[in-house]
Amino acid sequence: MLATVKQNAFQELVSGASHEELVWMNGFLAGVLSVGGSLQSAAGSVALATDPAPVKLTIVYGTETGNAKGLATRLAAVAKQQGVRVKLAGLDQYRTADLVKESYFVVVVSTQGDGDLPVTAVKFYEYLKQQQPGFSHLQFAVLALGDSSYPLFCKAGEDIDSLLEEKGARRFFRIQKCDTDYENDATTWFREALSSLTQTSDRAALVASSPAQTVVQKTGRKIYQGTVLSSVNLNDQGSAKETYHIEISAEGVVYEPGDALGVVPENPQHLVLEVLSLSGADPEKRISYKGAESTLLHLLKTKLNLVYLPERVVRKYAEVVQQDIPETRIGLVDLLKIYPVKDAAQFERIVEILEPVAPRLYSISSALSANEDEVHITVAKDRFEVNGETGYGLCSGFLSSLSESSAFSFYIHPNRQFRLPAPEQDVIMIGPGTGIAPFRSFLAERDAQMASGRNWLFFGDQHFVTDFLYQTELQNWFETGVLTRINTAFSRDQEEKVYVQHKMLAQAAELYSWLETGAYLYVCGAKEPMSIDVENTLLRIVSEQGGKTEDQAAEYIEWLKQSSRYLKDVY
Amino acid sequence: MSDNKNLSAVEGIKQKSKGLRGTIQESLRNEITGSISEDDQSLIKFHGMYQQDDRDRRDERAAKKLDRLYSFMIRLRLPGGFLTPEQWVALHHIAGDYSTGVIKITTRQTVQLHGLIKSKIKPTIQAFNSAQLDSIATCGDVNRNVACASHPKQSPVHEQVFAYADKISTLLKPKTRAYYEIWLDEEKISERSEEDPLYQDRYLPRKFKIGIAIPPNNDSDVFTNDLGLIAIIEDGVLQGFNIAIGGGLGTTHGNQDTYPRLGTVIGFTDTEEKVLKMVYEVLTVQRDYGNRSDRKLSRLKYTVDKYGADWFRAEVEKRTGFKLEAPKPYTFTQREDYYGWEENHEGLWYYTLFVENGRVLDTDDLPMKQALLDIAQTGKANFRFTSNQNLILSDIKKKDKKKIQEILDRAGLIRHTETASRIRKNAMACVALNTCPLALAEGQRYLPDLISRIEPILEKHGLSDEQIITRMTGCPNGCARPYAAEIGFIGTAYGRYNLYLGGDRYGERLNKLYKESLDEPAILGELDTLFGEFKHGRHAGEPFGDFAVRKNWI
Repeated sequence: MLATVKQNAFQELVSGASHEELVWMNGFLAGVLSVGGSLQSAAGSVALATDPAPVKLTIVYGTETGNAKGLATRLAAVAKQQGVRVKLAGLDQYRTADLVKESYFVVVVSTQGDGDLPVTAVKFYEYLKQQQPGFSHLQFAVLALGDSSYPLFCKAGEDIDSLLEEKGARRFFRIQKCDTDYENDATTWFREALSSLTQTSDRAALVASSPAQTVVQKTGRKIYQGTVLSSVNLNDQGSAKETYHIEISAEGVVYEPGDALGVVPENPQHLVLEVLSLSGADPEKRISYKGAESTLLHLLKTKLNLVYLPERVVRKYAEVVQQDIPETRIGLVDLLKIYPVKDAAQFERIVEILEPVAPRLYSISSALSANEDEVHITVAKDRFEVNGETGYGLCSGFLSSLSESSAFSFYIHPNRQFRLPAPEQDVIMIGPGTGIAPFRSFLAERDAQMASGRNWLFFGDQHFVTDFLYQTELQNWFETGVLTRINTAFSRDQEEKVYVQHKMLAQAAELYSWLETGAYLYVCGAKEPMSIDVENTLLRIVSEQGGKTEDQAAEYIEWLKQSSRYLKDVY
Repeated sequence: MSDNKNLSAVEGIKQKSKGLRGTIQESLRNEITGSISEDDQSLIKFHGMYQQDDRDRRDERAAKKLDRLYSFMIRLRLPGGFLTPEQWVALHHIAGDYSTGVIKITTRQTVQLHGLIKSKIKPTIQAFNSAQLDSIATCGDVNRNVACASHPKQSPVHEQVFAYADKISTLLKPKTRAYYEIWLDEEKISERSEEDPLYQDRYLPRKFKIGIAIPPNNDSDVFTNDLGLIAIIEDGVLQGFNIAIGGGLGTTHGNQDTYPRLGTVIGFTDTEEKVLKMVYEVLTVQRDYGNRSDRKLSRLKYTVDKYGADWFRAEVEKRTGFKLEAPKPYTFTQREDYYGWEENHEGLWYYTLFVENGRVLDTDDLPMKQALLDIAQTGKANFRFTSNQNLILSDIKKKDKKKIQEILDRAGLIRHTETASRIRKNAMACVALNTCPLALAEGQRYLPDLISRIEPILEKHGLSDEQIITRMTGCPNGCARPYAAEIGFIGTAYGRYNLYLGGDRYGERLNKLYKESLDEPAILGELDTLFGEFKHGRHAGEPFGDFAVRKNWI
């Protein structure tokens, strides 16, 4: 019935589509048929032309890794194409005083870690929370980005959505929650939202302008199979720390310096066996969890979070076993010991309420330009004491226990907000502890590029003798001139603690002159207190060296941020 | 004068060093390595330090992407080997705060600390300074720590002789202020301005050692020094000194031009002024005539042999403006420490403690370091070190003796000293692995075990009470004076030693190579045979070294 060209295109479209996409196409075509129209009218210019009043739309984004920003930018372009007047702003730069002037307000926001807002959205959120309800003029819609492998999927978006409603704003379109392959869902939602607010009759036309592209653009997360080539504890005997340098081979792996490796840690075998024995359940029994079926053993080992269940899960556990349980974080093993399940069947109900293990991200410490088909990561083994026993972080424990040639799955988590500048630009890197990781990648890349820009590294840790991560590599880079300057701070080698910010201060004049000549400044490592101390020190340096007032120095730093010359990857 | 056509690299470093300052400050400021620049490694020796690295840890650290585990050894300038109790307390704490904690008594009567990382050097030197201690010129091409007969009971004139050690040390100290500027923050650090008529800007061609002996005990091994002074005492009055020149033990494997040599006595002189003048000019002659192109051939012994001892004496006499008298007779009948309690002529008491290989530390069995701290804190005993790496608790008043005895007893140190076998108490080894960069084989880490295996062999032959001097070094440089031992072990490779025999008991005859590159079973096998022959073939009282010569073993 279709012409060959159309048929080929149609088949290409259909055969490359996921189940969800087919469902969507089905609905779309049904919609087209139901309004009795054809797509032809929508092929060229947009039906918005039929609406005489131009719509004013503000799109704001709260971003951590740059995904929300990139998406918001693309959505703004779509709106512009359709004749909508669009203002685009990051939530950290958005003037909250303007809220009273907005009419249509779209928020694109990602979720971090355990349901947290991205740092760039916190200020806005806190501001709104302080306001009295009275934003009835404001019509909003929220596009929430998240990762369904985390328990609190798209929580930040949900929070903003409900807060806006609480403050009296009107939701002009439903919230859309998007998973890591968000492009398609997001674009579709946005077109629908646009169409709803422009009240065009030709709804189908709006969403139909480029369905094929959105399918092609689908950015599903690629899972790589990695093999451990080597794993070595970089800290020497006598160190209080264990930091593993793990080299992983993965054919065809693609990433850029600054990106992170995402991994879902497996539960340790002893823990799984203990849960099984406490539950009395059959490890081989096939169980369905979130739409996928596997054996209970496999589920417990690779999918479910068994350690430190959040309070919300404990609450549900209490409901299932019908006992009073204090709402506090507690491990499943302890729960099973203190509040045992009745039988294996009841345990299966517990399995249903357990949350998936969240993936962990590690800054990649290699560059493909230096090590093709390899990813290196720098993992601090997280060690803590609980009731006198030593425990290890689930993921760092898992990764550091991987021996040579063991295999595991991972994905690449792009970090578009943490990219090297052009080769001729100067780079200042502040990366104490495992914060060194992305900078090892940067330096390898700059070395391979034969970048003409200068590189300056600040590194710090506890002890020079035992904790100087990648010392010999950094020495080589210094000797070959890749590293122009390097300063180190070892906090516990003398009575007074010395940290990277102290070294920055000692080099204040030089550092400021680098900034004045356009250097890009990167910070990676602990958010608190390191990145705060570093920023305060920067303010001081800019103020003292540049003869600026406190406010002017703050403006200077702000300007650096806005020109993407002050970038942070902190955790 | 000397053959200075092709100066060795170190000569250039010294001359360019701006009075031993070099770029040491820049090296200290380098934040990415625990080492200092190569040139500065030569210069820092003059400040009393050696850069070393833990050779046991090289591979593992390389895998961890960590640089070698660099550290520094620092050696004190203690002429004659003397510390007050307050100084010992300070040393004890400095060792614990900044180094491995082990206080190492050296074969030249001083102490050294190991394992200081670069950032700890300054705090260490500053702490030493507060205790009126310094490390100036204890390494490098200068006069090193002056050794002296250690035990005050040896002679009523001991104190008089001992004072010479200090006077000589002061006389021959480099004049540069570099040490004070770099380590003690006494500013300046600029073009050197201080004139040094002795060392000029080239210092000596090589290290220079001076030792003083009081016959009949040659505990300071006087003939192994570049310059030896033998006290001549008549009727309890110090007459002056015989002067011996050209001793020195270091050799190089495979270099036929190198050899150990004992000092040659060239004459006698009497007054302090004349003695000091003589000593000074021996250094200037060596400064002007010593070999500066090949450091393996630059010790005084080669200069003496090249020009002849007579020429050398004449040259020194020319410079001093007076002649040496003919040597006075003297006799050595001992070369040992007087273990246990001894009383001197003034009624003061002395306890010589056996410290195996000079290593003062606490072990579960033997809390030596703690006990010595306790003793120091009483303030009742001075600390003296012997050239055999032992320690003499000194100048103890009769009324305080009991207190000291109690502390020693409680820590098991009396028993330790009394029960150690004779051969062990007469054995000595150098540091060697894991820190000495020159070491080819183990020294102090291995000799105690080897002695434990030699003891039953001696026992078997009924020789346990025999005094046999055994010394081991991990390389041929001779730090533990193995060439002046009756049994000398000189490392050639890991686990292998050349065996030297035939040295005399008093340090007046060198030993000779007997067998090469023996491993432990071979060493024990050889000694078993040799001891068997000695037991049955010796004359009454004949020392092992003399027997070896008589039997032409070597």
